[in-house]
Amino acid sequence: MPSKVVDALKDSFKDNVTVLSDNGVEDVIVLSDKKLLKEAAKLIKKIHDIVFLITVVDRNPTFEIGYVFSNYVDKSILNLRVNIMQDDLSIDSITSVFPSADWEEREAYDMFGIKFNGHPSLKRILLPEDWPGHPLRKDFKVTDDVRNWTGLDLKF
Amino acid sequence: MEKQKGVILNIGPVHPATHGVLKLIADLEGDTIDNIKVEIGFLHRGKEKMAEMRYFSNYYPIVDKLDYVSALQMEILFASVVEKAAGIEIPPRAVYIRTIMAEIQRIMSHLVFVGSFGMDVGNYTGFIWAFREREELMTVVEAISGGRLAPMYICNGGTFYDLPENFSYMLSPVLDRIEKKVKNEYATLFQKNNVFIMRSKSVGIIDKQLVKQLGITGPNMRAAGIERDIRRIDPYLAYEEMEFEVPTEEDGDAYSRFLIRIREIIESIKIIRQAMKKLPAGSYKKPVPWLLKIPAKYTLVRHEVSKGEMAMHMVTDGGMMPYRLKIRSPTFFSLKALEKVLVGSRIADIVAVIASIDPVMGEVDR
Amino acid sequence: MNPLDNKENSAGEFSYSGLGDIVFMKAEKFIDTVLNWSRGWSLWPVTFGTSCCAIEMMTFGATKVDADRMGVLFVGDSPRQSDLILVSGTITKKMARRLLNVYEQMPSPKYVIAVGACNISGGLYHDSYNTIAGIDRIMPVDVYIPGCPPRPEQFQDAVRVLRKLIQQNEIKRYAKQSS
Repeated sequence: MPSKVVDALKDSFKDNVTVLSDNGVEDVIVLSDKKLLKEAAKLIKKIHDIVFLITVVDRNPTFEIGYVFSNYVDKSILNLRVNIMQDDLSIDSITSVFPSADWEEREAYDMFGIKFNGHPSLKRILLPEDWPGHPLRKDFKVTDDVRNWTGLDLKF
Repeated sequence: MEKQKGVILNIGPVHPATHGVLKLIADLEGDTIDNIKVEIGFLHRGKEKMAEMRYFSNYYPIVDKLDYVSALQMEILFASVVEKAAGIEIPPRAVYIRTIMAEIQRIMSHLVFVGSFGMDVGNYTGFIWAFREREELMTVVEAISGGRLAPMYICNGGTFYDLPENFSYMLSPVLDRIEKKVKNEYATLFQKNNVFIMRSKSVGIIDKQLVKQLGITGPNMRAAGIERDIRRIDPYLAYEEMEFEVPTEEDGDAYSRFLIRIREIIESIKIIRQAMKKLPAGSYKKPVPWLLKIPAKYTLVRHEVSKGEMAMHMVTDGGMMPYRLKIRSPTFFSLKALEKVLVGSRIADIVAVIASIDPVMGEVDR
Repeated sequence: MNPLDNKENSAGEFSYSGLGDIVFMKAEKFIDTVLNWSRGWSLWPVTFGTSCCAIEMMTFGATKVDADRMGVLFVGDSPRQSDLILVSGTITKKMARRLLNVYEQMPSPKYVIAVGACNISGGLYHDSYNTIAGIDRIMPVDVYIPGCPPRPEQFQDAVRVLRKLIQQNEIKRYAKQSS
């Protein structure tokens, strides 16, 4: 069943889709143009029910956004990866297609500062609103200043 | 929160019924909830960042505190990720020991659920009883691993120690006792208790559609009638050789979420008994160097832990530490259901519904 | 026998050296001593449980260890009616202000037990970006319980130690307010 989605994606996006065989373990579909994400999500929705997780990897200057889709029928999962550049950290939100992506996208925004266009309420989820910086980026270093700060001046 | 006609009630983050540090902002119209927002993040300890600063072997104590009522399952999950990435095959005895420990931990986690659910709907005896049974299992875990809540028993390549010689003499009577009590005493205390049934039946209904919309997994999903279990459809550890049922209920309310856990306790006891019979002899650990170097790759492992489908997505870059570790928490997805199911219900139902979802904030906030 | 002479010896678990001294003290201190003697026996806690240590705190209140017999009743859970706050679990930067809010709502005299390694020095999370390395940075602490997480018996011991400190007038923070 998963290969069906891969074929469908290949058919509709032609050169924009490459399939990486990641050490023979899991296939990863790389989408080269981030504008196509929403259409791809609609295709995937035909088979997969939920966004299982969203992993963002900071490989300065690119950010990899890895979507893992899963369904309630069998064990199949689908890896989809989109690369975005640091100078334009924004991507279309797929919340309208997959409502389960809501909090995962908010978390990615919280931790990496990636803007999800079209997200209904893109706010920080784990950290307070006025927390400075995005901690999971590689250029965020946990210094003594950060550790000694008690957070009592935070408003939220 | 646009219209503010009624009263806004903040519940939590410090409230005994919120199971730690969950915060709800309820917009009330009289006693009825108009709108409700869930706020999390009060226990965000930065575990994903800390993974990038720890060696693969040194991250176990932190993994323990993810879902602290089922710490062994967290350890097993992380060990599986590291072993899959590094290509380590663990000996069959270690596989079986891990299966037994995972199921013991599932029973303990569900007993905490039974206790705290009982306490939240006003059945304090349930709390006392469930913790009594849990304490017996805790003694067994302590005898095996030396630790209570955070056992630190699993390591890369197997387990730190072998099972003690008198293991089956220690565990079997405890299992018998728990099975008897869950089947008889708990049935009297909960399933035949009218007050309990009135508090929990047709309260907070999470139906199939909502489950599929939000990505809810685990017992909360099975209570809505979807039969799915990673142990069954994508077996890991020794679950392929075990016989067990995947219990499902139809209603999806708080009461059926309770029943699912009770039935899973019975199934777990079955699995432990089978695993103890089949426990192979041999080595319990494959010698693995303390400092591992894992080549650049992506590894995704998902397990059925006591709360649902938990997964770890590890990105390595050839170094001695993970480059990025993403933890997929099942309750992170389930909690969003509160915003949907609580609308239109009464204040008193909030407590019952939160407790029936069984949130553990350590795992939600990471 | 002058009770002042053997203050060291009489400070055992079941003796109340504070009461032994009453003959030689001022009225102010006498009232303090009597009040503190009674406070030590009814420490009602706010169970400020945030994470792992909270589960062991629940075990402390449950069957095997049973906090009730030490006068630690897990009843109200309202800060307004409590004398003791059991800060069990990691306090994050988002939580710090909430912890102080609860602490400030408690009537004086109030006592603090910091449970677990996180609340002593940061523990496992000493290099995390979002935790407070030791709650004594933001509030006074009377008794620390080491461990990650501590055993329920250690809670029992901490309550015993705290009771002793209170009854021997060792906690000086409230000397003025309570007289």
